[in-house]
Amino acid sequence: MDRSYKELLKLRRFPHTWCPGCGIGAVLKNVVMVIKELSWNNQNTVAVSGIGCSGRMSGYMNLDAVHTPHGRVLTAAETIKTVRPDLNVIVLSGDGDLASIGGNHLLHTSRRNPDITVFCNNNEIYGLTGGQAGPTTPKGTKTLTSPRGEPYLPLRLGRILTQQPPYFYARTTVYHLNHFKTCIREALLWNGFSFVDIISDCIELNGRRLGFKTAHQMFKWFDERFHIVEGEREHLQEDELGIAKAVVEKVPRPIEKVEEKPEIPTEGLKPFTLQELHHFNGTEGKPIYIAFKGKVYDLSTSPLFQGEKRMRCHLAGKDLTKDMDIAPHGEDLVFKFSVVGKLSGERV
Amino acid sequence: MKQLVSGNEAIFRGAIRAGASYFAGYPISPTSEILQQAALYSEENREFRFLQAEDEIAAAIGTISASLAGAKAFTATSGPGFSLMQEALGWGHVVEAPCVFVNSMRVGPSTGMPTQPAQSDLLQIKAGSAGDYYPIAFYPNSVEECFRLTITAFNAAEESLSPVILLADAFLSHLYEIVDLESIKVNVVPRSKEPLGRGQRLFTGTVHDKMGNVKTNDPEIYREWLWEVKDRHDRVAGQYPSFKYLPCRNSETLLIAFGITSRIVSSLKDRFSIFRPIRIYPFLEKELLEVAQSYRHIIVVEGSDGQYASWVECAICRKVMKVPCLGGGFKLKWIENQIEECLKGAGR
Repeated sequence: MDRSYKELLKLRRFPHTWCPGCGIGAVLKNVVMVIKELSWNNQNTVAVSGIGCSGRMSGYMNLDAVHTPHGRVLTAAETIKTVRPDLNVIVLSGDGDLASIGGNHLLHTSRRNPDITVFCNNNEIYGLTGGQAGPTTPKGTKTLTSPRGEPYLPLRLGRILTQQPPYFYARTTVYHLNHFKTCIREALLWNGFSFVDIISDCIELNGRRLGFKTAHQMFKWFDERFHIVEGEREHLQEDELGIAKAVVEKVPRPIEKVEEKPEIPTEGLKPFTLQELHHFNGTEGKPIYIAFKGKVYDLSTSPLFQGEKRMRCHLAGKDLTKDMDIAPHGEDLVFKFSVVGKLSGERV
Repeated sequence: MKQLVSGNEAIFRGAIRAGASYFAGYPISPTSEILQQAALYSEENREFRFLQAEDEIAAAIGTISASLAGAKAFTATSGPGFSLMQEALGWGHVVEAPCVFVNSMRVGPSTGMPTQPAQSDLLQIKAGSAGDYYPIAFYPNSVEECFRLTITAFNAAEESLSPVILLADAFLSHLYEIVDLESIKVNVVPRSKEPLGRGQRLFTGTVHDKMGNVKTNDPEIYREWLWEVKDRHDRVAGQYPSFKYLPCRNSETLLIAFGITSRIVSSLKDRFSIFRPIRIYPFLEKELLEVAQSYRHIIVVEGSDGQYASWVECAICRKVMKVPCLGGGFKLKWIENQIEECLKGAGR
C-alpha cells in the first residue's frame, strides 16, 4: 500500500488529540491521501479550519494552516482564495462550526461561490465541549442540553446548499470508504464552492449515550440509515449518499432594445438666437421655448412649467443642455416635445 | 494639486499610498464612503480586492485572513460594527497579522445617535476582546493628518505584526478641507510577514510556541509570548509621533483633548495650555506625568464620560477635572462655560 501520504502529516505531533473510535481520523487520512494523489503540496495548498475537535485537523497537516475563531472559517478561506488565487484552499471543520455559529457565513460564502472545498465532519453533536445538542442533532436525541430529547428538527444542509445553482453538495459517511474517497476527489476538482457533508461518529460523547458499545456499531447504524445513490443528481433525499451538483447554464444575455430617435434635420428650421429665445419665457401668454443640444423645443404643453420655471428649477427661454446633468430624468423627456427651431448665433 | 478632500477620502487614499490591496467592510455611517470608494477602486484596479461582507464579523475576519495571505489589508467601521469586530481583533493579535482597523466613532452604546460624533470607543480598543492584548491606536484631528496617520498605522502594523487601530469620529470623517495629498512625502514600510503557501506553519488563535505547536497548559510559554508582544508594541509605538503640546505662559490649567475636540479647544490656546495625544494607546504615561507636573488644574475635554480621563488619573495619580461632550454636543461656547465652572469649583 502506498504510504507516501504520510509526508503530508505532522507525525511528530502524534498521537493526536481525538478519542479512540472517532471518525475525524478517517476524514483526515482520506483527505490527505486524495491530496497526495492529486500531487498537491505545501507550496500550493492551504488548510483552514475552525474550532472544535475537527478544527484540530489542519494542525496535523504539513501545510500552511490557519486555525480561525469559532465559525469564521469560511470567510477566512474565501479571503485567502481571493488574495491568492494560485493556492488550493481546503476547509476542514465540523457541523457546529459551519452550520450553527457560522451559519450566516455558510449562506453568504456559498452564494459568492469562491473556489474552495469544504469538508464538514458532521457528527451531529458538540463533541469537544462534552456532548451538547447541535444544529444537525436529529429530533428526539438525548444530549447534555436536551435531556428529554432534542425538541427541534435538524438543519438540512443538503437543502440549504442546493437551493440555486451553481452548487456542489456531496453526502457521504466515514463508513462507506470508497464512496467517501470519490466524493473528496470530485469535490477537490470541482471549480467553485464544493461542500462535502461527511456523516461521522462521536462514540464517546454521543454514541454511548445512544446505546452503542463500539464505533463499529455506529458505522453499522450509518449503513442502515443511508444508502448510496449512483449517477448525476440535482438533489439528495435525507437518507441518500451521493453527489448533488449543478452548474449555471450560460444563457445569452437578452439584447437591449434601443429605440432609434429620428434625426431631425436642422436645415430649414427657424434659427433662434439666445436673445430671441429669451422672449418665449411663458409670461403674458407667450409660449414656452427652451433650447437643448442646439435645437429649440416648445414646452408650452408641459404641465410642470409653472410660470416661467419648471419644477422651480429650470428657467424657460434658456439653453438647458447643461441642466440635464443634474436632472433626475433622461433626455427622452425633452424629445417628446415638438421642435420649433434651432439655436444659432453666438453662444453665451 | 490642492483639492477639497473629506476625512474618509483621505483615509482611503492614505491606505492606497501605504500599499493596501485588500478591503473588506460592511455599510455603516459614517464610514460607508470608504467602502464605496474601495468598491470603485477595485473595479479600476484588478490587483486591489474588495469584499462587501455579510456582517462586520466577516469583514474583520476577512481583513486578518487577507493579511495572513499576504496582502496589506484594512477595514473601516463605526462603534456598533467595531463591537462585532472584537473577536477578530483578538485573533489578529494572537496570529500576529499586520492590518489596519479604522473606527470612526459615533454616539453609543448600541445604535446610539446615528450619526452624531463621539469619542467613546477608547475602552473598546483596549479591552473589547477577551484577554490581555496591547493594541496601537492613533487619532488624527485634521484631513491631512487622516492621510498621514493612515500610512503611519500601516507602517506600525507591519513593524509590530498586529492589527493597528486608526480612530476618527463622525465629524472628522465628514470634514472637508483643502489639502494637497499628492505632494505629501511619506515613508512606507514594506510587507514584513511571509505569506501563506510557503511552509508548514500553523496560524492559530490558540496559544502556541514559536514552532506553531498548540500549547494550552504551559504558563511559561504564555508569559514569554505576552511580554515579547508587549515589548515589541511599545518599541514600535515609540517611533511614531505621539502627542502635541502647546504650552501657554501664565496658565495654571492644562487642557487635554484629542481628535475633533482638540480642534475645537485650540481656539482657547491663548488662555490655557493644550496637550493633544495623537497616539491613544499605548498610553502616554511618561509624557503626561512630565507635562502635568507644572499645572495646578488638569481638565480633560473629550466626547465620552471620562474614558480618557480615567487613564490620565491612573497615570499621574491625581484627580483630574472632566468636561464630557456627550450626545454629539461639541459647541465651543458650552465647553468654555464648563471649563469656567470646573475652575470655579476648584477654587481658582
